[in-house]
Amino acid sequence: MIKHLFKIAFFVISMGLIGVSCTEEIDLDQVNDLEINPVLESSLFYFEAAAGDFFLGGSGAYTAGDYVVLDIFDNEFVNDNLIKAELVFETVNSINRAYQVQVDFLDNTNTLRHSFTFSADASPNNENLTFEHIEVFEDETLENLKETTTLVFRLTMLPGAPVDPNSPGSIHLKSKGVFYLNIDR
Amino acid sequence: MRKITYLLFLVSCFSLGQNKQILYGFSEIPQALIQNPGGQVTNKWYFGIPLLSHIHFNSGSSGISVYDLFADNGVNFNTKLENAIYSMQENNFVTANQQIEIFSGGFAIGSIFDKKEYISFGVYQEFDFISYYPKDYAILAYEGNQNNVNRVFDASHANLSAELISVWHIGYNKQVNNNFSFGVRGKVYSSILNANSTNNKGSFVTRIGQNNFYNHIFNLDLELRTSGYTTSGEEDRFTANDYKKRLLLGGNLGLGFDIGFTQKIDKQWTVDASLLDIGFISHTKDVENYKIEGNYQFEGVDPLFYESPEGQTADDYWSNVEDEFEELFEVDSTKTKYTTWRPAKLNASLNYAFGKKKTEACNCLSDNDEYLNRVGLQLYAIARPKQPQMALTAYYYRRLFNGLSAKATYTVDAFSFKNVGLGVSAHLGNVNLYLMADNFLEYQNVYNAQSVSLQLGLNYIFNRK
Repeated sequence: MIKHLFKIAFFVISMGLIGVSCTEEIDLDQVNDLEINPVLESSLFYFEAAAGDFFLGGSGAYTAGDYVVLDIFDNEFVNDNLIKAELVFETVNSINRAYQVQVDFLDNTNTLRHSFTFSADASPNNENLTFEHIEVFEDETLENLKETTTLVFRLTMLPGAPVDPNSPGSIHLKSKGVFYLNIDR
Repeated sequence: MRKITYLLFLVSCFSLGQNKQILYGFSEIPQALIQNPGGQVTNKWYFGIPLLSHIHFNSGSSGISVYDLFADNGVNFNTKLENAIYSMQENNFVTANQQIEIFSGGFAIGSIFDKKEYISFGVYQEFDFISYYPKDYAILAYEGNQNNVNRVFDASHANLSAELISVWHIGYNKQVNNNFSFGVRGKVYSSILNANSTNNKGSFVTRIGQNNFYNHIFNLDLELRTSGYTTSGEEDRFTANDYKKRLLLGGNLGLGFDIGFTQKIDKQWTVDASLLDIGFISHTKDVENYKIEGNYQFEGVDPLFYESPEGQTADDYWSNVEDEFEELFEVDSTKTKYTTWRPAKLNASLNYAFGKKKTEACNCLSDNDEYLNRVGLQLYAIARPKQPQMALTAYYYRRLFNGLSAKATYTVDAFSFKNVGLGVSAHLGNVNLYLMADNFLEYQNVYNAQSVSLQLGLNYIFNRK
């Protein structure tokens, strides 16, 4: 009998040992503080054209236009999490004519919400001249970006030295978007 | 109450492997025969108290502990999260394993005076989960791709498997002679729920582009396979009835076996080993698989201001890009049946027994009594999706007196280099009680333990002699 009692006592003590593990304070609610800030970069648009590729020649101004309907800005994820955006344009011009690029941002009622222009100088010696433009969207302009559903591009070859389809040089436009996100619970 | 909730959370979310290093070789406990069907049998017959004969929890995290992430120590959670994201490697994992024996029993067979064979049987329910740390996904989500140009994000870092099954088994053990015994156990598995995604391939990388700033290259081959839970159809997806039915062999079925042996080298040295769960489950019912597969490169929208030779405008091109992306990330759902392998386990041990009991009558060593002490080394390995996990245990076993024995273990594994475990088995009349737990050194703060394991059970035993 005493043996049995001893066994039970031993067993209970062992169980106790296992049961009384201590803990230091932890707080699982901290998960609500979760906040991450990834920065995404994505190529957007590009084109490369020789002097004679898409205009008629001469020395007057010439304008080409194009548009893209898109839903990457006007969606729930972007609306909730995008806190800043930059559109980066790089122009490399070796044509002896200056260019101007205008980008218009239209919402789904085709109302103009934002617009900017940048230019590239003429290259008299047909060397590669590089120009960069960064358009930053924050606060109010960011809200306008988030309403945008159509981008309209306008490329203007400004008046200058005459060019013909055989004139040397080319123009190369690259663009990317830098998107700063803030994702929290 | 809060503590209990946290402990449950700990057990359910941050558990590791299925190593039962304390139970292995503890032959007074009938369930030791599940760890080695060729182990030593010390009872004539037994039955497990239904639902109480073997309760097992084991959970672990090889990278960080709960405390590392959730300590209430004034450090900003996002700082702790950042530390976790960068300190863990893609081979780190969290695992959980739980088993409850529904019923079990065993009895010796053979001639009345010399019963050298033993049949054991039972049913248990098992939950097993492992997920590797999807490091590249975490870093891409945490940082974005801006500072990771040319970094190849590896899609195979997503690797997880979860199963809820019932196991019906019957085992045969034979003591061939005084030195050698072996055993086999046949198993029928009935899968209640299964989900796995262990064969993902591909990558995402942002490289410097030729025509534009970047070339984004997607090459994805991801698949999640599930059985037992369907999202289509009108009926309830998973009910208590489904659970009961599948527990009773109404689920996706599979077959497997265990083998093992014990060899006495001399009076004091013993070597034994077992291979468990060599088996598969064929998933044919209620299967739903989800697949994302495709290659795509994106450098930007090209023919701006003029039409391409095919007459495509910039807007057409963009619409194409959108379609391509949709196609790339479109989840294809199939009902293709599949087969999963059970995580096979290897146990082996080398044991040395010593110290016979002195009898009071003559102050001499008793001849019949077994040795009271045992020390040994145990090796454990389990097959896992990426690579096997291993553990090495040194132990000391002591029979305190008739019907009460204890075993202390020291284990080195992926979670810890200093895992101390303790188990006790007591016979009170014909009732056998056992309790074992490990990671005692972390008990001053259990949340800091990277793994915890607990087994307990209650049997009714009729012993030999």
